[in-house]
Amino acid sequence: MGQCLRYQMHWEDLEEYQALTFLTRNEILCIHDTFLKLCPPGKYYKEATLTMDQVSSLPALRVNPFRDRICRVFSHKGVFSFEDVLGMASVFSEQACPSLKIEYAFRIYDFNENGFIDEEDLQRIILRLLNSDDMSEDLLMDLTNHVLSESDLDNDNMLSFSEFEHAMAKSPDFMNSFRIHFWGC
Amino acid sequence: MAQPLAFILDVPETPGDQGRDLSPYDESEVHDSFQQLIQEQSQCTAQEGLELQQREREVTGSSQQTLWRPEGTQSTATLRILASMPSRTIGRSRGAIISQYYNRTVQLRRRSSRPLLGNFVHSARPSLRLYDLELDPTAREEEEKQSLLVKELQSLAVAQRDHMLRGMPLSLAEKRSLREKSRTPRGKWRGQPGSGGVCSCCGRLRYACVLALHSLGLVLLSALQALMPWRYALKRIGGQFGSSVLSYFLFLKTLLAFNALLLLLLVAFIMGPQVAFPPALPGPAPVCTGLELLTGAGCFTHTVMYYGHYSNATLNQPCGSPLDGSQCTPRVGGLPYNMPLAYLSTVGVSFFITCITLVYSMAHSFGESYRVGSTSGIHAITVFCSWDYKVTQKRASRLQQDNIRTRLKELLAEWQLRHSPRSVCGRLRQAAVLGLVWLLCLGTALGCAVAVHVFSEFMIQSPEAVGQEAALLVLPLVVGLLNLGAPYLCRVLAALEPHDSPVLEVYVAICRNLILKLAILGTLCYHWLGRRVGVLQGQCWEDFVGQELYRFLVMDFVLMLLDTLFGELVWRIISEKKLKRRRKPEFDIARNVLELIYGQTLTWLGVLFSPLLPAVQIIKLLLVFYVKKTSLLANCQAPRRPWLASHMSTVFLTLLCFPAFLGAAVFLCYAVWQVKPSSTCGPFRTLDTMYEAGRVWVRHLEAAGPRVSWLPWVHRYLGENTFFVFLVSALLLAVIYLNIQVVRGQRKVICLLKEQISNEGEDKIFLINKLHSIYERKEREERSRVGTTEEAAAPPALLTDEQDA
Repeated sequence: MGQCLRYQMHWEDLEEYQALTFLTRNEILCIHDTFLKLCPPGKYYKEATLTMDQVSSLPALRVNPFRDRICRVFSHKGVFSFEDVLGMASVFSEQACPSLKIEYAFRIYDFNENGFIDEEDLQRIILRLLNSDDMSEDLLMDLTNHVLSESDLDNDNMLSFSEFEHAMAKSPDFMNSFRIHFWGC
Repeated sequence: MAQPLAFILDVPETPGDQGRDLSPYDESEVHDSFQQLIQEQSQCTAQEGLELQQREREVTGSSQQTLWRPEGTQSTATLRILASMPSRTIGRSRGAIISQYYNRTVQLRRRSSRPLLGNFVHSARPSLRLYDLELDPTAREEEEKQSLLVKELQSLAVAQRDHMLRGMPLSLAEKRSLREKSRTPRGKWRGQPGSGGVCSCCGRLRYACVLALHSLGLVLLSALQALMPWRYALKRIGGQFGSSVLSYFLFLKTLLAFNALLLLLLVAFIMGPQVAFPPALPGPAPVCTGLELLTGAGCFTHTVMYYGHYSNATLNQPCGSPLDGSQCTPRVGGLPYNMPLAYLSTVGVSFFITCITLVYSMAHSFGESYRVGSTSGIHAITVFCSWDYKVTQKRASRLQQDNIRTRLKELLAEWQLRHSPRSVCGRLRQAAVLGLVWLLCLGTALGCAVAVHVFSEFMIQSPEAVGQEAALLVLPLVVGLLNLGAPYLCRVLAALEPHDSPVLEVYVAICRNLILKLAILGTLCYHWLGRRVGVLQGQCWEDFVGQELYRFLVMDFVLMLLDTLFGELVWRIISEKKLKRRRKPEFDIARNVLELIYGQTLTWLGVLFSPLLPAVQIIKLLLVFYVKKTSLLANCQAPRRPWLASHMSTVFLTLLCFPAFLGAAVFLCYAVWQVKPSSTCGPFRTLDTMYEAGRVWVRHLEAAGPRVSWLPWVHRYLGENTFFVFLVSALLLAVIYLNIQVVRGQRKVICLLKEQISNEGEDKIFLINKLHSIYERKEREERSRVGTTEEAAAPPALLTDEQDA
C-alpha cells in the first residue's frame, strides 16, 4: 500500500461531493483517507486510479459474491477514479433513494449485459449466492421457473427493468439488504 | 396484389414485390411510425445491429441464439429492429437517461408544489454502458438533450436541483459537469480567485478563514456522531450477524427512547415539584442496608420513588387542602400547584402520548413492510434480496450462504407440498397432533398461572414471612423461574409436531410464549389489585404494589444475566471443550425480544405507583445492551433460520402495542376508576377513586366563574357521556371499512393490469415472429436470386475453360 502525498481536499470539492452524493461530509473524508492509502505513491488523488482488484479486496467487498459485477458496473474503462468510488459508496449508502439502488442492482445482476435478466443470469445469480456448483440441475431450473413465473409479467422469459423494479418495490428487504458501509470510521 | 388498405400513403413500391405476400414496406403503409423507425434504424444503427449479433454469438457460444423461444438464428434485419426497440435503445445510450430526466424536470416545473421525487412512477430504462461521446453516433442529439436538461435544471431551486442530480444514475464526473453547466453566473464568481495582488491576498485570507471554520465544524460534527450511542457497535453486530440480530438491538434502542420520554414527563411535572416542596416525613428515616437495591423497600420507601410520598395538597400554598372548597390566598410570588390533579393528569397524558407514538410507529413500520399483493413473489425476493450486503466477515458470509440454501430448499419443498396435498388420513393425523400440542402448551400456561396464584395466596396467608424482607423476593423469583422454564418446555413439545413452514413455526412459538407471560401477568394483576388491596387496609397498598413491581423488574434482570451466563457462555465452553463441536449456541431472537417486552410491560404497569420506575428500566436496558452485546460477540452465532428483518420489527412493535401496552392501559384504567386509594398515603388519600381528583377540580372550576365554564361543559358532555364515545368509535369503524374496500379495489386493478401486461407481451412476441418470418423469406428470395445470377455467370466461364482445355 503506497502512501500518497496527503493533499487536503478542497472545501469546494467537499461541498460539491456532499451535494451530489448521498454521503455525509464525514463519510466522504473517510473514503478519501482510504483511497489515499491504496493509491500509488506520489499522485494527486484526483488523478490516481485504483484497479478493479484493489477495489474488490476492500474489506467491505471482500466476501461479497457479486464483487466483480459491482466493480465492473461502477468502474470506467476498468479502473476506479476517486469519483467512481464515491459514486459507488453513494449508491450503497443508507440514505440513497430506492430508484437509484434498484437501477444499479439491475445492472449488477445483469451478467450478460443484454438489458434483461434472463434465465442464464438467474442461474448465475443463484450459483453465486450459494457459492457452490453442487446444486442439482432440477432445483436450479425449478427455482428459475418460480422466479420468472412470479415476476415476469409479459411472459417473455426475461425480467425487464420495469418488472424487476416492480418485484423489488414489493419487498422492503431490498432497501435493507442493499447497503454497504465502505468507510472504516 | 396487396389487400385494400385503409388509407393510401405516397410510398414508392419496389418493383420486385408485386404479386407476392405482404412485405414490411406494405405493412408500413398501415403503420407509418414503424416505417419511420425502420428507415431511421437502417441508416443509423447498422453498426449497432451487427455488433449486437456478434456479441450475442460470443455470449451464447456455439449454441443457437434464441431470444424468443420458437426461433433459431435471426437475420441481421430482425436484430436491427429488435435492437431499436424502445426497451433496449434507450438503455444503451446516455442521451436517453438525460432525456428522461429532462422530461422529469419539465413535469416538475409544471407542478406548482414540490413533488416527492421518491414517488415517481418509473418507466426508467436501464443504462448498460456509458459509451464515450466520440463513438456514439447520436452524439449531436445527446448534446442537444443535455443542453435542454441544463436549461431545465437552471430553472429549479438549488436544493431541488441537487436532489435531482443525486438521484440520477450517472457517474459523478458527469453529474459535476451538469451541475457546473447549470450553475447560474452569479454562483460561478464565488469560487474564482481574485485578480490582482491585494484582492488575491484578501481572497486567500478569506478562504483560509473559511477553511479553518469548516474544519472546526467537521470536528464538532464527528464529535457529535461519536456521541450518538452505539453506532460503531451496531455496525459491527450488523456486519457479523446480519440484519435479523441487529433488529433486536434496534428494538432495545426504541424501548430506551419510550422510557426516556416517559421519564422526562414524570420528572418535569411530578417529581420536580415534589422534590422542591418536600412533605413532612412520618418518622425517622430507616437505615439503608444493601438489600434495598433488590427489594425496593427499606430506605427507598419514603422517597419520591413511590406513590406514598406524594402530598395530596396544593403545593406552594400554605393553607389546607383546597378540596373542601375553602378560599385560599396563594403565597406571594408563588404559583399554586395542585398535586393530585398533576399526578393524575401527568400519568394520563404520558400514557396517551406513549399510545400515540406507539401506534404511529407501528403503522409506519407496517406501511413500510407490507404491500398489496406482496405475499406472492417470495422466490424472487429470496433470490434478489436475501444476500445482506452489509456482511463483511468470511464466517458470517458462509453462514449466510447456508441460510440462503436452506431457505431456498424450504421454499421449494413448501411449494411442492402445497401442490401435492396429503391424504385425508395424513391431514387428520397432523391436525390431531397439532391440537394436542397446543392443548399441552395452553395447559402449561394455565398451570403456571395457577401455581402463581396458589403461591401468592400462600404468601398472603403466612404472616411470619411478611416480617422478613428477604422473603419478599420469593414470589418474583418463582415467577421468573417459571417464565424461564416454561418456554423451554413448550419448545420441546413443539419438536413433536410436524410443521410445513418453518417461519410459521417461529410465529407459533412466539404466540405460545406470549400467552404464558400474559397468563402469569394477569394472575399477578388480580393478586395485587384484587387481594392485596383488601389485605393491606389501613396501610399504604400502593407503595407495596410499586415495590413489588420494582422487585419483579430487578429479579427479571438478575435471571436474564444468569440465563445469558449459563445459556450462552457455559454452553459454548462445554460444546467446544467437552463435545468438540464447532457450532456455537444460537442467539434466540424471539425469546430475547419477548423478555424485553415483558420488562417493558412491568414498567408500564408500575408507573402509576412508582414514578421513578422508568429510570430503573432505563438503567436495566443499558446494562442489558452491553451484556447481550458482549455475550453475542463472544459466544453466539446468528440463528439458522433467516428472518425477514423488516417484518420482524413490525411484529415486535405490534406485540409491544397490543398485548403489552393495551394490558397495562387496562390495568391503569381499572386502578384509576375502580379501586379505592388508601387513606393514609399518597395524593388521593381523601378520595373514593383516583379519578375523583379530576371531578373535584371541575367542580372547583364551575364555582370559579363563567369565564372557564366551557371546560366543565366539555367534561360533562364529552368526557363522561358515553354517546360521544360511541360516535367516535362508529366513525373510526366506518373509516377502517372504507380503507378495506379501497385496498380490495386496488387488488382487483392490479390483477387486471397484470393480465393486460401479459397480453401485450404476447402481442410483442407475435409481431416479432411475424417480422422474423417476413425478413427470412426476403433473405431466402435474395439468396436464390443471387444464386441464379451466379449460375448464369459461372457456366460461360466453364465453357470457355472447357474450350481452352
